[in-house]
Amino acid sequence: MSIKILALSVLLPIIMFFSTLSQAEYGDVVINNYSEEAGMRPVIFPHWFHRIRFRCKVCHADLGFEFKAGGNDINMLKIIDGEYCGACHNGEIAWSVESCNLCHSAKPGTETQVHESTISKLLTNQKPAAASTTGGTKK
Amino acid sequence: MSIQKPGYKSLYLYLSLSMAPLFLAFTPLQPAYAEEIKNGKQVYEIGCAGCHASGVLDAPKFGNNADWLKREQQGFETLVKHALNGFNNMPAKGGNPAYKNEEIIATVAYMLSEAGFPNYADRTGVKAVTTASTPKPAEKPATVAPKSKPATATKSYKNTNQFNRLMAPSSEWNPPQSKDGIHDPENDGTEMLQKPRVAFEPLANSTSGNRVDWVKALHNGEINPRYDRVNPDAMPVVMDLNIVREVKGSMPNVVYPHKQHTEWLDCSNCHPAIFIPQKGANQISMASILLGQKCGVCHGKVAFPVSECRKCHSQAKTAKK
Repeated sequence: MSIKILALSVLLPIIMFFSTLSQAEYGDVVINNYSEEAGMRPVIFPHWFHRIRFRCKVCHADLGFEFKAGGNDINMLKIIDGEYCGACHNGEIAWSVESCNLCHSAKPGTETQVHESTISKLLTNQKPAAASTTGGTKK
Repeated sequence: MSIQKPGYKSLYLYLSLSMAPLFLAFTPLQPAYAEEIKNGKQVYEIGCAGCHASGVLDAPKFGNNADWLKREQQGFETLVKHALNGFNNMPAKGGNPAYKNEEIIATVAYMLSEAGFPNYADRTGVKAVTTASTPKPAEKPATVAPKSKPATATKSYKNTNQFNRLMAPSSEWNPPQSKDGIHDPENDGTEMLQKPRVAFEPLANSTSGNRVDWVKALHNGEINPRYDRVNPDAMPVVMDLNIVREVKGSMPNVVYPHKQHTEWLDCSNCHPAIFIPQKGANQISMASILLGQKCGVCHGKVAFPVSECRKCHSQAKTAKK
């Protein structure tokens, strides 16, 4: 009996998840650590665009990006100094920091999140719990 | 809420507890789950209060007569049109296309009636909840031409039992940024970004996530992502070693392929922080994966999600038949 319930518990979210109305791309990360306080739109990092061009290792091992939305203390000074996004977004490998609005492109008020992630779908409206357990939705 | 040490009882309790709010949690995303047509109050509380309760982004504040007065003067039809199709910061249907037109109409009426216009109270759909029939404002939507869904209120009622009503049709997959709900269409950079569908067109398909099978796309040479930031010729150090994990219950065993992972990642990405590189040292459960731990650090966020059961649970059990 408990196995049945276990199976159900696992299947349930999966069924739901299939049926969720997806909008933005899977893996789009919204970063709003400092942006809005500083009067800019939050940043959207599209994983899909970057993984076509780079393997995960380049950013997540070489450049030190943690696997956590909002878990990297990125600011414009670091980017200008060649850290984080600035390792490529320097006008040589990719367009540079003067193209503000290509990154700072989220709707005002969008919270830090991994868009379309299982965890954000499972814990919608559970923000306090999500923040303490998931690691996926740090604000 | 944290996962304590197993013991079936506590796991069971944990799962039942953790799954219960899921039902609640999902409702806002999927009002279509409900059998009945929601009334204005219900829709407001789930889908609109986020902005209209506080009045952020210039939203007319709930219950604030002054905010609503100038809107009301534009006429109910205009308000409904804006609610259905979007207007300024107001996204179409409050950003949730799953709402039926008549639910949105009832919601506009509800918000007006709560803002001191009691003559709209009879259109808030309160009575329609139990019967899901005879939508009162049926004469109104005929004059409204919604962009997103051409179905009128009566038509959407007819479509209640349509095929796959909860699944987004493929035409809605990978929308352009300006329509994806998180990018700001007002932002001048948004239109300059590469459209996902353009990029994905030549890539191998999948049934979940971005609808791209990234491993296959890489294998087929459809993409050639760099392994080094500057050197396009750097090649990954691929380790071809499968780890078989026997699992409890009826599911097939998990075969973890180092090969596909090392094509993308460095050893240090997973070891030792996420997985201790030692046999038997890692406790992994679907619950922890769903919560974004272990495999769930990537799977369910950027790598294929857990709905692709058989991609991992791929080895039939031979012991029992």
